[in-house]
Amino acid sequence: MTDKSGAELWKEHQSAFDRVRAVAVTVSEPKPADWIAEQAHVAGNTARDHLRRLVEMNVLRTTTGGTATRYEPDPLYTRMQALRDLLDNRTRDDLLELRGNLQEQVEEWQTEYDADSPSELRERAAHADTAEATREMRRTAND
Amino acid sequence: MFAFDGGYDPGQASHTVLLELRRTIERHPAVQHASGEPPGQFIRVVATLDPVILGSEADEGTLTLRWYAGETADADPEFAFHYNESSDFDCGWHHDPNPHVDGWTHYQERLSADDDYEYETVSFDTLQPVPLLWGILDRLETRLTEH
Repeated sequence: MTDKSGAELWKEHQSAFDRVRAVAVTVSEPKPADWIAEQAHVAGNTARDHLRRLVEMNVLRTTTGGTATRYEPDPLYTRMQALRDLLDNRTRDDLLELRGNLQEQVEEWQTEYDADSPSELRERAAHADTAEATREMRRTAND
Repeated sequence: MFAFDGGYDPGQASHTVLLELRRTIERHPAVQHASGEPPGQFIRVVATLDPVILGSEADEGTLTLRWYAGETADADPEFAFHYNESSDFDCGWHHDPNPHVDGWTHYQERLSADDDYEYETVSFDTLQPVPLLWGILDRLETRLTEH
C-alpha cells in the first residue's frame, strides 16, 4: 500500500513552505535539500528556496563538510519552541508546580545515583533552592 | 532534535517530534483539539476528533500519537498512532518490536475491548513523522468509511 492519497491530503492542508519546515525540523540527522524535497512533496528548487529562508530565520542551520549542503534544526530554535509551548499552555502556578516536580525528580536521581558530576554541580549552582522551597513559594503565592 | 550541547538526547528528540505532530494534526479538519503529555517532555499527543468527518458514526473519537525517537540519531523510531472511539472499536498503526508479526510495522484492530486484536503486516512509504501522520490519517479515514 502506498501513501499517495496521504500526500494529497497533506498538500491540501499544509503549504509547500509548511511541509518543508515540518520535515526539516524533525530530521534526526542533517539531510540534503533533495531528500527534504522528496519527503515534503515539493520540487528541489522550491525546497532549496524555502530551506534558505528557514536558515535566515534561524529555524534551521546548515552543516559543513561533505559535498551537498545539509540541513538540521537549529538547537536554539528547538529549545525555544519547547519553552514557548510550556509558557503558552500553563499558568505561573502550573509552571511552579512543574518545576517543583522536576526538581524533586532531580533530587531523587542525585540521591539514587550519588551523582557527583559537573552537570549535577551546574544544576545545584543554577537552582540554589529546593523542591520544598518551590512548593513553599507556591503555597505562599496562593494564600 | 539535538541537545543544547550538540549531542543527541532521545527524550528531547521525541519531544521535538511530538510538538511538531501536535501542531500538524490540528490542521486536519476532523481534529478539534490536541495536547501533549506530560508537560515539557511529551511521550504522547492525544487528539480529540469528530469521527463523523472521518466517515464513522461514533460520537467521540481520539487519536493517540506515541513517538520514541530511538536510542541513537540513526536508529529507527518506535511509534504508535492509535484510534479509539465511543463505539468501542479501536485500531492503530504501530512500529515497534512485537510478537504478532514479522518486523516492526503492523496494523491492529478489534471491534470491542472484549475481542482479541487482529494483526496485519503493513508498510509505510516513509518513517518521517509528519508525512507519516498524513498517510495514517488517510488510512484511518479509509478504514472508518468501510467500517
